Amino acid sequence: MARESNLIKIVGKSNYEKLRSFKCLIVGAGGIGCELLKDCILMEFGEIHIVDLDTIDLSNLNRQFLFRQRDIKRPKSTVAVNAVQYFNNSKLVPYQGNVMDNAQFPLNWFKQFDIIFNGLDNLAARRYVNKMSQFLSTPLIESGTSGFDGYIQPIIPGKTECFDCTKKETQKTFPVCTIRSTPSQSIHCIAWAKNFLFGQLFTFDNDSENDNGNDWGTDDQAEIERIKQETGELSALKNIITAQDESRIEQILKKLFVDDIEKLLQIENLWKTRTKPVPLSILIIEKALHNNSGAHLNENSLWTIEEQVNKFIQSIKSLMLRLKKEKIDIEFHKDDKDTLEFVATAANIRSFIFNIPMKTLFDIKQIAGNIIPAIATTNAIIAGLSTLTSLRVLNLLCYAATKSATDLNMAFTAKASNLSQDRYISNPKLAPSNPYCPVSSRVNRGIIQITEMGLSTISLYQLTNLLREKYIFPEEVSILDTSDNRLLYDFDFDDLEGKKLTDLSLGEGSVLLFSDEEGDGTDLKFKKPIEFYFEIASGPLENEILLPQIESSYITARRSLHDETSEQDLREPQDKSKEDQTIILDEDEETAPENKRLKRPLPEESADEVTEEIRKKNKISEPPAEDNVIELD
Amino acid sequence: MITGDVDSSLSADEIALYDRQIRLWGMAAQARMRLARVLLINLSSIGTEICKNIVLSGLGSLCILDSHAVTEEDLGSQFYLSKQDVGLKRLDAAKNRILDLNPRVNVTFDVQDFSSKPLAYFKDFDLVIGTQLTKNEMVRLNEITRHFNLPIYLTGSNGLFGYIFVDLIEFHAEEQKIKSAKATAVGRISDSVEVTEVVEKKDEEKPNKVYEIVKTKHTYKPFVEVLSKPTLKNKLSRRQSKRLSPSVPLTLALFSLDEMQDELTPQILKNKALEICERLEVPTTILSNEYVEQFVVQRNVEFTPISAILGGAVAQDVINILGKRQTPLKSTTILDGITLDMPMFEF
Repeated sequence: MARESNLIKIVGKSNYEKLRSFKCLIVGAGGIGCELLKDCILMEFGEIHIVDLDTIDLSNLNRQFLFRQRDIKRPKSTVAVNAVQYFNNSKLVPYQGNVMDNAQFPLNWFKQFDIIFNGLDNLAARRYVNKMSQFLSTPLIESGTSGFDGYIQPIIPGKTECFDCTKKETQKTFPVCTIRSTPSQSIHCIAWAKNFLFGQLFTFDNDSENDNGNDWGTDDQAEIERIKQETGELSALKNIITAQDESRIEQILKKLFVDDIEKLLQIENLWKTRTKPVPLSILIIEKALHNNSGAHLNENSLWTIEEQVNKFIQSIKSLMLRLKKEKIDIEFHKDDKDTLEFVATAANIRSFIFNIPMKTLFDIKQIAGNIIPAIATTNAIIAGLSTLTSLRVLNLLCYAATKSATDLNMAFTAKASNLSQDRYISNPKLAPSNPYCPVSSRVNRGIIQITEMGLSTISLYQLTNLLREKYIFPEEVSILDTSDNRLLYDFDFDDLEGKKLTDLSLGEGSVLLFSDEEGDGTDLKFKKPIEFYFEIASGPLENEILLPQIESSYITARRSLHDETSEQDLREPQDKSKEDQTIILDEDEETAPENKRLKRPLPEESADEVTEEIRKKNKISEPPAEDNVIELD
Repeated sequence: MITGDVDSSLSADEIALYDRQIRLWGMAAQARMRLARVLLINLSSIGTEICKNIVLSGLGSLCILDSHAVTEEDLGSQFYLSKQDVGLKRLDAAKNRILDLNPRVNVTFDVQDFSSKPLAYFKDFDLVIGTQLTKNEMVRLNEITRHFNLPIYLTGSNGLFGYIFVDLIEFHAEEQKIKSAKATAVGRISDSVEVTEVVEKKDEEKPNKVYEIVKTKHTYKPFVEVLSKPTLKNKLSRRQSKRLSPSVPLTLALFSLDEMQDELTPQILKNKALEICERLEVPTTILSNEYVEQFVVQRNVEFTPISAILGGAVAQDVINILGKRQTPLKSTTILDGITLDMPMFEF
């Protein structure tokens, strides 16, 4: 029997031929991507394209099974494709690049695929690929994992929920006063050290710490004044750093860990219900300053307060030296030893002062570096579910034809996520698109073909008129460049009207949102906005531009984005796993498994990101943008 | 997150390599895994997945026992094999590729047939995994693991459908969870699970947050007993039994008809499955003809996505019990690859 004989028993002979003619795209060659590639090859997709911008890192090797120690620093997509050659029977095309780069990957390039698999680690790219899938009506299988947890969601444009149909969780933030005055958990001290202190001392551009317009989390004017004053005083400390004056390191320590704490203690209101902080002992500081030993400390054991202070001083010295040599801002990075040690020891010293348990360097690295745990097994299961489902999405199962898109199932880990002891996977049916989704429901889409000549001769004014006439929009319209949320035109902003499209940096891959700002006069009905993708025409065009045919329709009662969100919240969460939960579980939010208690910081590689929300309410959670879990404001 | 209990026996290199998983299950579990010796029988499609997952995870040693030669069909579902390998022993073909995966794991290869092995062969392992075996082989292997008091995982697929049987004999699990309004009570919670101890623990940073460390005892039946008198009486609600995947009775029915070869017809299988529905006390109406036909056509068929799911689930459970983390799988898990349903049963 031949290699494909088993596959034919599952899909049938004619569907097997179809499969051989299909092209699939895998976005991401990481934890999920390596698994997807292997599965797609053995499922005999005719052509498999795989995109990743990243290179291989040591910490990938516990799960990304196509990579070896010798591959570290090489590009993931090409190494993966080389590694599978011995068992490959498909045409494979690797790309090193960012899938959101529309010069390398224009919409036209996406057109060739019959199905797209996401194996991504960040929200921006997930949203982008979702939008491409909506533009082209190409089915997308979205997925993600985080530790033991994982999910897949097939997205059939026009028929089922898209990635943006459910609200994505945003990262946890803390009020300013918690970080700057009254920390009660080590994460508050880590946020202080990483997002406030580090930036103040080692970067020159301090826009990030603008004390105005913040959520202070307090009305106590004395406290707010103190915080503002403190920010000012820190610039003095920065001079010590830039002057590379080691003899004044003592001042830094005394200011941060003694004087500032004493000032805080004077605001008595703060300490009525809280344990008072205890300024760091001068003795410890002085002893540490005279101790020059660079003892090697185990990053997995808890250091004493003396060791923390010693390390803190050493890390300042190293960073001072680097600032002098490199002459550019130093940025925090979890794998940059000096920056990590500075943040960890500063956070721990502050914790010590505020009677909060200190943490090991290993643990602080996870919080400050937004590291998401990741394992081979969850990725294998999730990629298996994705590729398995692709057969139903493409209607290739010979015994189980797909009658309706909403008969398809999404899936998420139930047992491993401690949601059920009665099922390993939960498999709710797909929901239809959310009628309030700004991506899949409340917009029409089309592609504008334009020539280079058109771009340099057609003005924004002319374009606006063409669109208004073609789609019968009223006088008051707006045009937004969605790539950077730049308003190009609306009824009281016509400054750019006379500019040619090239002058507005519009070209291949630009996406414009054209909206009715007037309505039918009753404020109840508006023309449905249209999103246009600009594509450079391959040949000459009459009038240099070709507008797509779009059935122009109305939407009722336009809402602000805020309203749409609350509208979504009102929708019945469909938790099909509830009935299966045993007494070990509980629907009480508080019973979330211990290891997920912290709203997971960031995906370093969170293709990989699911939180309580998804498991509880079956909504997909969201990987916040990289590297800023612990925002101050 | 890791707290306390740092095991110094892991080297800095190992900690760096296994960083993303140590952050999930801790140093101590990783160190315990390094001591384990696992026997994997059959480098099938699922066996290949299990092997990959276990070797990546940094388990101590893995012995793979497989006497089969590579067939053309194997190429369609096993990624350690290449076209040039047809006719060679599977293990000879896959060996170097597996060894290259993670040099820290001691992998050994044995090309003999498992039925030729003397009883004593098995006692040197801490855990046995059998994949894509016949019913008789599964029963025999389970007798051996019972004899030596070893945990066993038996897994296989029938095309879009698959199963996992687990016999840990008796297993004590410990899990920490946030205490809910109602405290967990000590006592039996099902035929095979008993809560033996509940200890409260306060969060060291947030004193109003209280955890429970729940210790449970899980008892398992041997595979042969699971097959001989499975029942779901009083275990499913009416609605649940109506919605039970037909793959559950059909998987069990195929085991009962294990001796039959090509003479197996949809009608024979359906009759057997109807019998099993009655024994399980679930409605016979769940059995659709499409499912029955698929089970006949796809019997013993290996399919990569199904193998990836089953192999992932088995390997993770093995890692969990060796690292002593999380509650283990129930005795029987069935995967329906059409609906992605994957229920677990005690039977």
